[in-house]
Amino acid sequence: MNAISNDDILLKAGNLRWEVGENLHDSLMESLYTEASRIADRVVTRSGAPGRFNWDRALDKLLTGRWTGFPIMILLLMVVFWLTIAGSNVPSSLLASLLLDTVHPVLRSLGESLSMPWWLSGFLFDGVYLATAWVVSVMLPPMAIFFPLFTLLEDFGYLPRVAFNLDHLFRKAGAHGKQALSMSMGYGCNAAGIISTRIIDSPRERLIAIITNNFSLCNGRWPTQILVATLFIGALAPPALSGFLSASAVVAVALFGIALTFLTSWFLSRTVLKGEASTFSLELPPYRPPQVLKTLYTSLIDRTILVLWRAVMFAVPAGAVIWLISNIHVGELSIAEYAINWLNPFGLLIGLNGVILLAYIIAIPANEIVIPTILMLTVASTGVSGYGEGAGVLFELEDNLQYLSVFQAGGWTLLTAVNLMLFSLIHNPCSTTIYTIYKETGSVKWTLVSSLMPIAMGLSLCFLVAQVWRLATAGG
Amino acid sequence: MESHALINPEIALLWAGIAISILAVVFWPNRGLWARWRRTLQNTRRVRIEDALKHVYDCEYKQLTATHKSIAGALSISGDEVARLLERLEGLNLLRSEGEMLTLTEDGRAYALRVIRMHRLWERYLADETGVSETEWHYQAEAKEHLLTIEQADALAVHMGNPSFDPHGDPIPTAAGELPERRGIALTQLRPHQYAEVVHIEDEPTAVYAQLVAQGIHPGAHVRMISSDKNKIEVEVEGVENILAPIVAANVAVVPVGRVTRTEKAGATLADLAVGESARVAGISRACRGPQRRRLMDLGILPGTLVTAEMRNAAGDPTAYSVRGALIALRKNQARMIHIERNGANGV
Repeated sequence: MNAISNDDILLKAGNLRWEVGENLHDSLMESLYTEASRIADRVVTRSGAPGRFNWDRALDKLLTGRWTGFPIMILLLMVVFWLTIAGSNVPSSLLASLLLDTVHPVLRSLGESLSMPWWLSGFLFDGVYLATAWVVSVMLPPMAIFFPLFTLLEDFGYLPRVAFNLDHLFRKAGAHGKQALSMSMGYGCNAAGIISTRIIDSPRERLIAIITNNFSLCNGRWPTQILVATLFIGALAPPALSGFLSASAVVAVALFGIALTFLTSWFLSRTVLKGEASTFSLELPPYRPPQVLKTLYTSLIDRTILVLWRAVMFAVPAGAVIWLISNIHVGELSIAEYAINWLNPFGLLIGLNGVILLAYIIAIPANEIVIPTILMLTVASTGVSGYGEGAGVLFELEDNLQYLSVFQAGGWTLLTAVNLMLFSLIHNPCSTTIYTIYKETGSVKWTLVSSLMPIAMGLSLCFLVAQVWRLATAGG
Repeated sequence: MESHALINPEIALLWAGIAISILAVVFWPNRGLWARWRRTLQNTRRVRIEDALKHVYDCEYKQLTATHKSIAGALSISGDEVARLLERLEGLNLLRSEGEMLTLTEDGRAYALRVIRMHRLWERYLADETGVSETEWHYQAEAKEHLLTIEQADALAVHMGNPSFDPHGDPIPTAAGELPERRGIALTQLRPHQYAEVVHIEDEPTAVYAQLVAQGIHPGAHVRMISSDKNKIEVEVEGVENILAPIVAANVAVVPVGRVTRTEKAGATLADLAVGESARVAGISRACRGPQRRRLMDLGILPGTLVTAEMRNAAGDPTAYSVRGALIALRKNQARMIHIERNGANGV
């Protein structure tokens, strides 16, 4: 027997490489899997007689049926939203009265009794504390109701059926059916919606879902929509119809958001995301009774607390900034007033104003504080008397008439209201969401795309609406 | 209060229109100033040298003769430019010209092989790990081959498990510059009723390649010649009958095979299964690659697996299949990649 040298072996292996061809790895893997399944089939016995009535299939027929699937889906979603809105009103106002009306004055008087300088107590209690308390009281109750409800539906096995029902719509937009779920989750909170895109295992479709989640009108933006629609749009109709008209306006904005989701998904999947890999598959797990306690625990820890914590971390600096820019004076004016004056020409050009733009800049941390910030800045910059609690202190008003008088003092028109509603839907995601996008994608590029694309779209749309509006009204 | 009146909407729209036009002219994909400028930057001396070497090498591999004219054609440059380019190549000792005939030196051949390696590795990468469509692989690789360094190419090869063929079936030269003999015969040379496996598809010209892709012809596909004459060639590709023009079929290289695997005989795919029907998986088409293929295997869709179509979306797509006790929805374009055998499922 001749000894074979290493070189010979390498040469032989090198030549064989060309002969076995490119399918070697695949064939190897295929035969391994096949062998494994063959062994499993031989030794595993399955219980359950075939042909027995199948509950899962019967339920599937109902929930994904041609005539029953969509109505049940819409009904369930509406129940979830209704429970969230109705259920969070009471705890939200409780929290607000506790944190804003009770604890805040206590903290202030504590500051006085410790003879803190005004700027320190102002910065800490009026700035940092108030903004944080605001975010917590507005954000916590709806999230603590919405997310567990959603998780229960998921646990039961219903949500994958929704994805199955809607997949053909999303397929046409180049997206994944499961985006329906992350989109609905976005109505609770965009940051949570973006975390929920983890269920989409295909890289390209997941990025699409992340970038377009911002078009789901989140919890923090609903109050803005409702307030502005009630004050300006509702007033256009006779009193009997005004409630209906303003509600329709809010729904129209939300539907416009859905339309934008599809449109942007379609655009992204054909342009910048064309080259990302795509692997579609949708598992429809068997139905099972939801584990209520476990669900409550995990949804509170995983979603609510995590998102709230991030929001608080961002609200703290926002509160500080709001107080500081309103209280640091350079010459005659505060920094806030300089910024408003500087932003005003551009704001008016696109049918908004300097106050709104500045509010959206400093309220990047949380959409919840946009309206209080607008109020505070309007009162501070126009000098309307009788409202507010001082520079840099966020506040709410008692009734709609007071809101209207402040906004009118700020020079608002119907155009301002319409554009504010549009801009509230289409602007950059809040900083919590931006941070979450970065954590989930791990990419600066996609974080920038998802932050800058909506703001560019929002500004362009407001600009266009303002010009068309002015042309139309000037003619008439 | 009406400071709005100061802003004339017509002028504002005009300015916006001008701004958008300027942005469009500059950033329009492929044709904008920015894209043109990038292309000019890339179209350096290096690119021309490498493209010329590649062309001469390609001619040698196909046992054709490279000439001044063929270089001018391949690189779309004028005769004067060809002369200057060849002068430079000879100066670098990469090429020898004897009259009209051009031959590569040892250095030139090694250089050409390095460029080809990068090109084919990149095509392989695009095919396996991204969603870039088939018709763009070649085009993108044409640009990338001049930009990769040797180290990057080696790292890419290691990352992909040292692939030996590009997605068109062309062998990828090893780092040492080894390449096997050309395999296969043209599809047109197949005798009627002979079975063969596709080993290579010419990726140029693009129009012909796109047609072949559209007809489901890809490396690894099994074909059966039905009949061929001067005007048309009838072949069965993975069980589906196709008619090709001889000039198109000549761009496909095949290796005759004696026996045919179950996969390719079947013809029917999972997409053909009506709700309630069952079938056994015969195999996953070779056109399904990379993460997509792994995903299907992870789900347990393997040769011999029993699959039942359970329900179909009201709009006709996707369809949920029960596979090994799990219910999995697949879209039509994926189900088409999975070949099935119906008779295998009888009596189960």
